[in-house]
Amino acid sequence: MRIEGKAAFEEAVRKAREEAASRRLEVLVCCGTGCLANGSQKVAEALAAEADRRGLSASVGLFTKKTGCHGFCERGPLVVIQPSGTLYTRVKPENAGEILDKAVSGDGAVTRLLYRDPATKKPVEKYDEVPFYKNQTRVAMRNIGKVDPADIRDALAHGAYRGLVRALFDLSPEEVIAEVEKAGLRGRGGAGFPTARKWKAARKAPGERKFVLCNGDEGDPGAFKDRSIMEGDPHSVLEGMVIGAYAVGAHEGYIYVRDEYPLAVVHLTLAMEQARRWGLLGKNILGSGFDFDIRISRGGGAFVCGESSALMRSIEGKTGEPRQKYVHATDKGLFDCPTVLNNVETWADVGAILDRGGEWFASMGTAKSKGTKAFSLVGKVKNTGLIELPMGTTLRHIIYDIGGGILGDRPFKAVQTGGPSGGCVPEALLDLPVDYEKLTEAGSMMGSGGMIVMDDRTCMVDVARYFLGFLIEESCGKCTPCREGLKQMKVLFDDLVAGRGRPGDIERIERLAEGMQLGSLCELGKSAPNPVLSTLRYFRHEYEAHIERKACPAGICRDLTAYEIVAEACNGCGACAKACPADAITGEKKALHVIHQGKCISCGACFTVCPSDAIRFFPKAERPEAASGGLP
Amino acid sequence: MNGASCQDTAPLEAILEKYPREEASLIQVLQDVHRAYHYLPCDVLEKVAETLDVPLAKVFSVATFYKAFSLKPQGKTIVKVCMGTACHIRGAGQLVEEIQRLLAIGPDETTPDMGFTLKTVNCVGACAMAPVLIVGETYHGNAKPAKVAKALGVEGKHHAH
Amino acid sequence: MISLSVNGKTVRVPEGTRLLDAIRGAGFDVPTLCDHPALEPWGGCRLCLVDVTRKEWDGWCKMVVSCMFPAEDGLVVLTDTERVQRTRRVVADLLLARCPDTPLVQKVAARLGVERTSYAPNPEPTDCILCALCTRVCDHIGVSAIASVNRGAGREIAPPFHDAPPDCIGCLACAEICPTSCIPYETSDGSRTIWGKTFEMLRCTRCGRAHVTKEEARHFAARTGVPESYFDLCDACKREDMARQFTRLSEGARTSP
Repeated sequence: MRIEGKAAFEEAVRKAREEAASRRLEVLVCCGTGCLANGSQKVAEALAAEADRRGLSASVGLFTKKTGCHGFCERGPLVVIQPSGTLYTRVKPENAGEILDKAVSGDGAVTRLLYRDPATKKPVEKYDEVPFYKNQTRVAMRNIGKVDPADIRDALAHGAYRGLVRALFDLSPEEVIAEVEKAGLRGRGGAGFPTARKWKAARKAPGERKFVLCNGDEGDPGAFKDRSIMEGDPHSVLEGMVIGAYAVGAHEGYIYVRDEYPLAVVHLTLAMEQARRWGLLGKNILGSGFDFDIRISRGGGAFVCGESSALMRSIEGKTGEPRQKYVHATDKGLFDCPTVLNNVETWADVGAILDRGGEWFASMGTAKSKGTKAFSLVGKVKNTGLIELPMGTTLRHIIYDIGGGILGDRPFKAVQTGGPSGGCVPEALLDLPVDYEKLTEAGSMMGSGGMIVMDDRTCMVDVARYFLGFLIEESCGKCTPCREGLKQMKVLFDDLVAGRGRPGDIERIERLAEGMQLGSLCELGKSAPNPVLSTLRYFRHEYEAHIERKACPAGICRDLTAYEIVAEACNGCGACAKACPADAITGEKKALHVIHQGKCISCGACFTVCPSDAIRFFPKAERPEAASGGLP
Repeated sequence: MNGASCQDTAPLEAILEKYPREEASLIQVLQDVHRAYHYLPCDVLEKVAETLDVPLAKVFSVATFYKAFSLKPQGKTIVKVCMGTACHIRGAGQLVEEIQRLLAIGPDETTPDMGFTLKTVNCVGACAMAPVLIVGETYHGNAKPAKVAKALGVEGKHHAH
Repeated sequence: MISLSVNGKTVRVPEGTRLLDAIRGAGFDVPTLCDHPALEPWGGCRLCLVDVTRKEWDGWCKMVVSCMFPAEDGLVVLTDTERVQRTRRVVADLLLARCPDTPLVQKVAARLGVERTSYAPNPEPTDCILCALCTRVCDHIGVSAIASVNRGAGREIAPPFHDAPPDCIGCLACAEICPTSCIPYETSDGSRTIWGKTFEMLRCTRCGRAHVTKEEARHFAARTGVPESYFDLCDACKREDMARQFTRLSEGARTSP
């Protein structure tokens, strides 16, 4: 099985392709964490069992396969039939029989399981005609959903390690770096640092022992592209790292995987074992004489360990406290050795760049942000999931054309990008082409590619407070501005949402924000004020309403919001009473229902379920009972 | 399945065999220990410090820094509610409230019968299925408060209001 | 030697000097709390922040902590720009909220123009400013009996399990280096207690004073290679011995032919 030399590699690929082709029909079941959460494990088992029972592998060459995340998580569990390209959505285990019937007969599809276009209401049979997929350009995610991550032969059949072969046998390390430079690749973890520049610095740095690391910490809540890549196509990460190690002269690597991603650890470990057996990792890779091996280091549940110096301390067995980076990691990083740290998606791009050329990658994207980017589109959008698009695609295209617009067709309010270091982008900027510079100019940032869509039922003060609450738990506590600043900022926000805001609070918040931005040791503290500042920039009126009128315009802050049923609109259906967790609504069938203010906890559940728009919210301070001092 | 008690050193010894005896192994060792014992017993930590040649104060510092570790025994079933942004705006808070209502425990607390521990966790990366509830090893996407009792297996039992 | 400018004044320092020392060499100073000449700089309190720029940066500045930033040839340092002062004030203000009753913090804050904190004062005031000097000195002497525990707002300095630290040698270095004297210890005849651990002291064989703990003697003997008998005499008696020896030697020199 061990491959030595280019010719042997071509032969191995040929054999792998032959084997793949012998599988005349494939039933691919998405087993990414999203679909698994929706029960796709049972779907995969049902299909495999039924195919087995019918003896389909022998009779018609039909095989079932578990793949990584297809991306269209909203419609999971997802099943794709190849070669027809039929996509089935919301599949249940009991559908196994009919799916196999249609796959074998080749005559049509199970129509009711097909994706239905919400605009045309017509079913769409083929995977690549579904708008969600049609508009994508998958580079980092090129093989996810196509390959079985537990089988290296499948990866080889789909082009894995071609880039590595070219790098090792046709190019010098300097030429490899030049190719990455031509591609214009910038770090996909968030900061967007030019990858080639980092590699050059590490190559030049003195020292025998060097490291290449993969940052699989993906701490931004709302982002899951790295998880999908590590779970769904682990070989793309391994290939990139071997190429990078060759380029900078490193022989040791680590993949740092966040504790919350156990499946990624399993798949990466298995992929590494297989890669070693095949000579693609370890000593004398492919017979080239180059040695490089990788170890997995698991995180312990700390967002701060996504920061490069904290990550390295964590690998060293220490607490994840960042250090001042006046000396770059490329000179002194892990164990004080020259170290290159890149994000999962960056590594996944590297193999494709070496295979297809830097020019090809640079032909996509914008002037300063080349190539494609993976985004996780989540929140109040109809089509939630994972997508990859050329840099420069507009937010409007992403949210409406691919995302299908806002859930429930409610008004769009903002899209949050860049996680806790990012900001909110309002409707006025929906035509912003997404790239590193444009997002930063707008007061946000690219971050990991998480895009959280928010509708009118989102309070921007609450959003900022949410991120502060998150960061308070994650601050390492080493430096005063971050540790004490986050605490005090949260106190100010707790006051705002509880109706205790005072005049001058906005100025207090801004002064503290500046102190944190300028004074903090690392980017966690420095960028912590971003969600606050960006919501202040675009939604200042909401802050003012909270302070001056003790009102929450979005009706979310419970201490400030009261609900009542509008008599003229209520048809007595009782949906509200059923949804109410506080037993605060009474009413006879088909008769007007009433919310009892004394029991209402202002959770808004009734508002969400009312089919007649018969519930309205208004500031608690305006409740007539508040004036009389009593409540029913 | 309750993990071994801290008197049982066999799992610890097996774990310590797997890793080089140095500081860099500390977090991986603690994770394996946590999985085996369901928490970090203090005598186990002392043995780890001694074997890896890391000062006990630093082992304790690491054990308390990372949220993956609990120094208190945990319940048989760990219930995790994801508090990621997508889950937050899709109602994770209400899931926590429902669990509090059903089990009378808050985050990081364990039921008196050691049956359940509730934890609020950082983003598990299933954002498209927000909000996400994880009971033991099972992920429940698009979780709703009304479905929590079933997911926990406590349907029909007394609700601790 | 490299040359840089601090607040307009040119100063020359050896390569490898850290900025804080170059600033002091130029006759200026910046406030510090977590810095100590005997220990590696830590960069945690953030009071020593200064603005730096270079001619070729066209006026663009960056703020750095002078205790860790290396002095560079051609660097232009401004220790008291508006934004540096504003930031120091916020840091002091935050510390004052954390430690409202601590004289050192009150003094540092007052000097920066902060008489009263503008933030919510700590409901459980503490004297600990989390400068980590205690844990750093403990690490430095090779003991590491205490460390920082928890993270974020809950961070504190403690022995393992908040119990008597097994590795502590009772040397009091932590208590003595603490700038706010917030590590309590008790000495009574022949014994010493700190961090909940009690130590038996060794008595000087000449004057009888209890001068080091048994554990200190053992630790430093092992670390330096001196025999444990070195600690039979206390420092004062050793000095007296040394003085007598020198006197004898010099008298001998005078009276010899």
